Amino acid sequence: MTQSPTLSKRSSSSAPSQPRKSRQRGADARAGYTFLLPWLLGFIALTVGPMISSLYLSFTNYNLFEAPEWIGLDNYITLFQDERFLQSVGVTVSYVVFGTPLKLAAALAIAMLLNSKRKGQGFYRSAFYAPSLIGASVSIAIVWKAIFGDAGPVDQGLSFFGINLGGWVGNPSMTMPMFVLLTVWQFGAPMVIFLAGLKQIPADLYEAASMDGAGPVRKFFNITWPMLSPVIFFNLLMETIHAFQIFASAYIISNGEGGPAGSTLFYTLYLYLRGFSDFRMGYASAMAWLLVIVVGIITLIFFKTSKSWVHYSGDSK
Amino acid sequence: MINRRHFLTTVAIGTASAAALAACGTGSTTAGETGSAENPVTITYTWWGNDDRAERTRKAIALFEEKNKDIKVNGNFTDFPGYWQKRATEAAGGGLPDVMQWDLSYLRDYGQRNQLLDLGTVNINTDAFDKSLLPSGQIRGKTYGIPTSTNAFAVYYDPAKLASLGIAEPDGTWTYDEYNSFLTEVGSKGNGTIFGGTDYTSVWWMFNIWLRQNNIEAFTEDGKLGFTKDDLKKWWNTVSDLRGTPAIVSEERVTQLAPKSPFGSNVTATEVTWDNFMAGYLADSGAKELKLVPVPSDDPDNLGLFLKPSMLMVASAKTKYKDAAARFIDFMVNDPEVGEIFKTSRGVPASKTQRDGTTFEGTDKLVVDYEKSIEKYLKDAPEPPIVGFGTLEASFKRISADLNYGKVDVNGAADAWFKEAEDLIKQNA
Repeated sequence: MTQSPTLSKRSSSSAPSQPRKSRQRGADARAGYTFLLPWLLGFIALTVGPMISSLYLSFTNYNLFEAPEWIGLDNYITLFQDERFLQSVGVTVSYVVFGTPLKLAAALAIAMLLNSKRKGQGFYRSAFYAPSLIGASVSIAIVWKAIFGDAGPVDQGLSFFGINLGGWVGNPSMTMPMFVLLTVWQFGAPMVIFLAGLKQIPADLYEAASMDGAGPVRKFFNITWPMLSPVIFFNLLMETIHAFQIFASAYIISNGEGGPAGSTLFYTLYLYLRGFSDFRMGYASAMAWLLVIVVGIITLIFFKTSKSWVHYSGDSK
Repeated sequence: MINRRHFLTTVAIGTASAAALAACGTGSTTAGETGSAENPVTITYTWWGNDDRAERTRKAIALFEEKNKDIKVNGNFTDFPGYWQKRATEAAGGGLPDVMQWDLSYLRDYGQRNQLLDLGTVNINTDAFDKSLLPSGQIRGKTYGIPTSTNAFAVYYDPAKLASLGIAEPDGTWTYDEYNSFLTEVGSKGNGTIFGGTDYTSVWWMFNIWLRQNNIEAFTEDGKLGFTKDDLKKWWNTVSDLRGTPAIVSEERVTQLAPKSPFGSNVTATEVTWDNFMAGYLADSGAKELKLVPVPSDDPDNLGLFLKPSMLMVASAKTKYKDAAARFIDFMVNDPEVGEIFKTSRGVPASKTQRDGTTFEGTDKLVVDYEKSIEKYLKDAPEPPIVGFGTLEASFKRISADLNYGKVDVNGAADAWFKEAEDLIKQNA
């Protein structure tokens, strides 16, 4: 974000007037692209290619076995009459809306705790980061299922306090809190980024504020928040996009069915079921593209609104 | 099927896809590539099932390799729902395993779309099979699957549990009302720890049997639904007084207990399902003895029962090793020693050679005796159902669960299922 303006400034000032440097730059570019080649080939063959074919398939009726048959916009129209599709949108949106802010709040809170000078901070940082290393793995989803199952530790713990919810896994109204907790617990990646951001905030700002008699709350809202806003924005964007793509844990905890009563039918899970259980790959492709478009629009909105609350250093605003 | 082992899913994905990649390509000769004792060919075999079946299958594979030094079999397994998702992925990539355990529900989806080998073109001995059973592995005159065994629907009960509740064992002749009152009695005496059973109206095949009892065919010959929305409402209403009472275990518990069944987890006293689940239930529940009686019917002369191929053996249309695949299938369906290994855990062996070569004792004998006892009520085995039937079967179960969660009422559930079914039939027309 901060690098691209500098690069373009340099090129505009040096390139046009000096042909010798421009030749040099051409050679540099060639070398650069040569080094990029393996990655570019992979990107084109494994990402761009499949994306283009899925765009084509989204306008067809394709059952995986027989040649796709062109049906125009039918898939996209059918989507909005499909109750399970609408249900999956509802489930995913509530996951994003509840899970992402909570996760970021947890990440920021822990990052601030870890930012203070204290013995053994290195250890604590690793310990708090560990869940997100293993959190996305299959084994954790299985462990989660056991923890929140009937007579699991959570059930027993709550019963001790007289709260008898039973297992959460089988209760349609408790599965969403369970998934939100799972994602909040994996706060490690945004936490590390927050921590790096916090370290960039000059200590003299806080010192000056203390001199002026500002308390911790005031310091947070007047120094930490604005100084950290580019990092918060980055984390918010990444985590939101990430949350829309939740799949593995939902697949494992619900046995790949999106149950109980459709309460864990996340968008990507329904997409997968449509494609690979019902053999409606055209329909699934349409769902995938709709997700790309929606996430794109949300990203755009984020960037538009970010102008009012994200402050870059050196910015006059 | 009983034991959904989802944690194995991911492990299996890796192995299956690696194996599938290795199995790519088509054979150049009719027999495909053949191996020798020094340089054996390796075929891949995949099945669904629990640990019990995995153990038995490994024994069978070891025996096959011992008898056929020129062939190695690379096996792997998953649970039932995950099984079909993986096959779809492999089929799309042209890399199905060489030999697969198969279900009647999915035979048309793959057979009709040229994914399976026409087993009429290879050498598999079907002399020992009942001629009325073989058509259930055939589509449009071509044989895509050989039944390993047969199963029939039954009501399981746990005599020890009934005794502990002071309830007499059922004699197996009952109407739906009588079965319902039985469930209610178990539930009320079970004191919140033992429930009557699971909601039997949530199982497609039981619905199919009820339709047969009322002389209705589930599907018409041109692949449409043979019953009306009112039939379905009537069926789901059969237990409407029981939902939410201890007669039926709650859907919350059923979900919690998965991958085990409530019956296998000792939470219910009865279960309505296929008779070949006996071995799995015994292993899961640790019960000494489980018994089988026929399903309820309001017409005592028409139980609507039939023998279904409990599973079939199929080969991939693209296998490079047609000869090896055929020999493995022949071995799995006909060899008496394989019968000795599996007993009735796959169902009662379909091949007479295998059935006669197997000694059935104890609970295995119960299963064989049960299928004998219902012989006079049996009707023709169903043909492979319509394309997409697996999806319909799954949505039947899912919508029934919504019903038990109280998310929809019977009318709404019937509307939802019919909408999905009609959409699917239109899609595959």
